[in-house]
Amino acid sequence: MAERGTSRRPEHLSAVPDPDPDPGDLLRAVAGGDEKAFARLYDLVAPRVYGLIRRVLRDPAQSEEVAQEVLVEVWRSAARFDPARGSATSWICTIAHRRAVDRVRSEQAASERLTYVGRAQVDVPYDAVADEVSGRLERQQVRRCLHDLTDLQREAVTLAYYQGHTYPQVAELLGAPLPTVKTRMRDGLIRLRDCLGAGAVA
Amino acid sequence: MNTADVHTLLGPYVLDAVDDIERAAFDRHLRECDACRADVSELREASARLADGAWSVPPPGLRDNVLAAIGSVRQIAPISPAPAPAPATAPARSSRRLRLVSAAAAVVVAAAGAATAAYTLQDHRVRVEQARAEAAQAAESRVRALLASPDLVVKEEPVTGGGRVTVATSKLHDAGVIMLAADAAPSDGRVFQLWTIRSAVPIPEGTLAPGQTAAVQIVEGMGQASDVGVSVEPPGGSKTPTTPLAADVKL
Ligand SMILES: [Zn+2]
Repeated sequence: MAERGTSRRPEHLSAVPDPDPDPGDLLRAVAGGDEKAFARLYDLVAPRVYGLIRRVLRDPAQSEEVAQEVLVEVWRSAARFDPARGSATSWICTIAHRRAVDRVRSEQAASERLTYVGRAQVDVPYDAVADEVSGRLERQQVRRCLHDLTDLQREAVTLAYYQGHTYPQVAELLGAPLPTVKTRMRDGLIRLRDCLGAGAVA
Repeated sequence: MNTADVHTLLGPYVLDAVDDIERAAFDRHLRECDACRADVSELREASARLADGAWSVPPPGLRDNVLAAIGSVRQIAPISPAPAPAPATAPARSSRRLRLVSAAAAVVVAAAGAATAAYTLQDHRVRVEQARAEAAQAAESRVRALLASPDLVVKEEPVTGGGRVTVATSKLHDAGVIMLAADAAPSDGRVFQLWTIRSAVPIPEGTLAPGQTAAVQIVEGMGQASDVGVSVEPPGGSKTPTTPLAADVKL
């Protein structure tokens, strides 16, 4: 698998990384037009951004294209980041996830694969997805926390987040009523937050 | 949608599991509701951690491409604390929208083939009156939602060879609709292809079939585009425009 070290630009190879800088500090520098700070921020967040987009979109070429859009958008709108409303990583992931979901839905609409209100004909059964998700999350705190959720909470959260389904689609997939699915998504996130200790950010 | 209904969207909103109309409704609600705003911030921290599980090494070229791209992207200034509300629809604007809607109706019908659709303008909202072919429904309802957006901006340019291209964009939706209505198809079996220009790079947004003169295309992430272009290409389209643009709409 390719890695950053294969970059053609030698300065990437020779740099001895400092201890990881705080993404929030970097983002504030980026807002002021600091391209070096942006390059360091890229190294910190790009694998997560690309991986998340790839998880939702699956197609590597499209994922690369959307990841580029997202990272350029981070540069463009860095001034909009408000540390009072959350961490820099969360702000960046929110942009990436939203863009990936928008793309997957426009692809669905464009190819007319989505029989939106028809009986579900979704090609990936949800339990297979949940298994795959669990496998990839091995040894990670978030995996343990996902296991703390009820089955319905976990399925509702992961079908929406990793596959970009809307809550009516999730309801269809799970054969659960809409109000139940909405509630499970919220309660699942609350439980996840409590487990991760990712509570209020000062 | 009343307040109680809006609150139930909290979980789906944080997971991006809402449609664009619900998202816009919840965004509006967030401006007025401190409790939901605090909840969204906290739950987003949790949902972002789900990205931990998707970590993947990016393609090696991505870093250079991104760092090269930002050189030509102008950064936005910090947002003012109280963003101005969207300006009220002026009379001139409504007549413009009326024209746009009839154009959209015409091209939707042309593009959908057997589908029939009728639009009426009522209280600045576009309403679909008739049932239509199911296949076209998802795209069409999206078009309808976008055209009904309160912050719609409409630009139009002639197409070389006759006809016009209309682009309607909404910041609220971060999306737009390209509506092409050319007088004639390109010669020699060539076709029209639609583009957005983002960070000075043309991104293909759809290719028409040989002989096809009208199309409606929804484009996501329109906020990043500086132009919408139309070019004439070999059947199936090209990766980048091979002829001068037959139309260029500056956004
Ligand atoms: Zn509220």
